[in-house]
Amino acid sequence: MSSLTLRNLTKSFGKTDVIRGVSLDVEEGEFVVFVGPSGCGKSTLLRMIAGLEDVSGGDLMIGGQRMNDVQAAKRGVAMVFQSYALYPHLTVRQNMGFGLKVRKVPAADIARQVDEAAAVLKLDALLDRYPRELSGGQRQRVAIGRAIVASPEVFLFDEPLSNLDAELRVHMRAEIAALHRRLGNTMVYVTHDQIEAMTLADRIVVLRDGRVEQVGTPRELYESPANTFVAQFIGSPKMNLVDGGAVADRLSALGRPVPEGALVGLRPEHLQLVPADQAILGGRLVTSEYTGADTLLHVELADGEVLLMVHQGSDAPEPGADLSIGIDPALAHIFEQDVAAKNAA
Amino acid sequence: MAVTDTTETTARKPRAPWLTLRRREAIEGWLFVSPTLIGFLIFFLGPLIAVVFYSLTEWNLLSQKSTYVGLANYTDALRDNPDFWHVIRNSVIFAAGLVPLNMALALGLAVALCRPGKGVVFFRTVFFAPVITSAVAWAIVWKFLLQGEAGAVNQMLAGIGIDGPNWLREPNWAMFAVIVTRVIKMVGLNMILYIAALQAVPRDYEEAARLEGANSWQIFRMVTWPLLAPTTLIIMVITTIGSFKVFDHIYLMTGGGPENGTLVLAYYIYEQAFEFFNIGYAAALAIIMFVIVLALTVVQLLLRQKGSS
Ligand SMILES: Nc1ncnc2c1ncn2[C@@H]1O[C@H](COP(=O)(O)OP(=O)(O)OP(=O)(O)O)[C@@H](O)[C@H]1O
Ligand SMILES: [Mg+2]
Repeated sequence: MSSLTLRNLTKSFGKTDVIRGVSLDVEEGEFVVFVGPSGCGKSTLLRMIAGLEDVSGGDLMIGGQRMNDVQAAKRGVAMVFQSYALYPHLTVRQNMGFGLKVRKVPAADIARQVDEAAAVLKLDALLDRYPRELSGGQRQRVAIGRAIVASPEVFLFDEPLSNLDAELRVHMRAEIAALHRRLGNTMVYVTHDQIEAMTLADRIVVLRDGRVEQVGTPRELYESPANTFVAQFIGSPKMNLVDGGAVADRLSALGRPVPEGALVGLRPEHLQLVPADQAILGGRLVTSEYTGADTLLHVELADGEVLLMVHQGSDAPEPGADLSIGIDPALAHIFEQDVAAKNAA
Repeated sequence: MAVTDTTETTARKPRAPWLTLRRREAIEGWLFVSPTLIGFLIFFLGPLIAVVFYSLTEWNLLSQKSTYVGLANYTDALRDNPDFWHVIRNSVIFAAGLVPLNMALALGLAVALCRPGKGVVFFRTVFFAPVITSAVAWAIVWKFLLQGEAGAVNQMLAGIGIDGPNWLREPNWAMFAVIVTRVIKMVGLNMILYIAALQAVPRDYEEAARLEGANSWQIFRMVTWPLLAPTTLIIMVITTIGSFKVFDHIYLMTGGGPENGTLVLAYYIYEQAFEFFNIGYAAALAIIMFVIVLALTVVQLLLRQKGSS
């Protein structure tokens, strides 16, 4: 039985359609991440699951029950907000026990459950502090602790790490992953950081303009993106797209036929400098960005487009050099449908 | 030669100019605050000292004669003259009636009108308009409405079978009437302050509480109300101070009557000074009022400090 099911879910604010028919099955215990560009409806979708926004159309099922018209508090979900939303006038202990208190749970039970959650998150020493006396990472843990105390069927996270600095983000990411392994609950996580998505997710849902572009494991999305949008959204630096005509002859010769009018996607990290007779493309190096482990090369092609490639090692060519670029043909992505989309962009 | 020139100038020790950046900024600073400072000295500190001085004299404006009497005016007020304590009692009743009523109503209106919606702007305007209405017009209209049997208020009460009192002619009802009409006039101001405070409460708190199963009343009591505490404190203090200083409203509605039933401190001072010409005694009363208001202000500051630490 799936833990969370969306059936053709829609949402409009007045005349604007924000979610335009999203269907998804989330398995019990799965960690699902919603990614997509700003404004694509990630938060709205999450808030619809939580019950903070009502559903305009379609069905929302949690634990096999239709939840469209069920109050937020009765859906068995807990949410961790981007702002943490810790009540500033309550201590950590009171914050974590708030939900139980309003549900009239006896004080002794509240204390026990708060202590348990605090132990999981190593918050024991902070229980009597106020939120303003905590660091960003500690606040984040309290917010998660409050969700744990609610013992929900499904955890919802809306960009929980975006207020933290880069280092803490990596650390908390690992903590959330560990928490998921430990609790085994279903989790739905919104982010626009694709590294977060790749590292945390069992499955990623890529959204654009209120629609699902692709659902799959991080590996599936990286290795076989369904379209150029997903291809360019997943992976960093983003995938190069070149006109099929420019590389068709060479790729066909190497066993990858390119249909008329298709686009070819080449990931920067898959491109290599090769002898001229093995090249599929040639161009002039305009800029090279040294980042330590590798160097990002900006190569201007004959048609004026700029191609990115990652060059490993310290022997990067100088700007102005003419380069011959090759790729393992198996790693080239061929998109037949999206030519119009690319031209429109 | 250029080389020798340089050595000569470096050899001469440059004298520090008198007008350093620090001095310059200090002078500019004083210049900027001087208009306010001079105004403060002339129009506040000066009169205050004068009033302290007058309060130590017996000075009848008609005879133009003033004699030093020490603290006699103060002992008169605080010990000998029963009117004073009656007036203080009235002022306390006025404040005790007005402040809770005003604040409860302001909060209720603010909660109802803090979110955008149909008619919200209209109703905010309706409740705020009396604040900027002339006190004179307000009082005249209400005096008219509160007339004995013919008044609109009593007519309406009669309509639902209640025989209304002659509002402004019976001491207790008159106090009630001036409180209520003052609240209706001034509640819009506190409503606006509360609306601003409510709008500053992040939506996330309410949503988090709702997700955790709190109902609207629990959200208000356990989340919103505590977050409003600083605003509540400020509103309480300024409303209390304002109610101790109320004058125009009393003057226009009841003239302190009937039977001195609405004779409050500010009006009593006016009466003593400009109707009975007891300038010395009135000055002592003014100082006492100043001390009361100052004490309330200090209490406010202390409470705020305690609240924020
Ligand atoms: N209450 C609302 N009323 C009207 N439009 C809204 C409302 N909330 C969101 N929207 C619109 O819905 C769209 C999706 O918003 P949403 O917040 O879900 O985006 P998001 O994917 O979470 O973006 P971000 O990454 O910036 O957080 C946006 O175009 C936004 O303007
Ligand atoms: Mg969002």
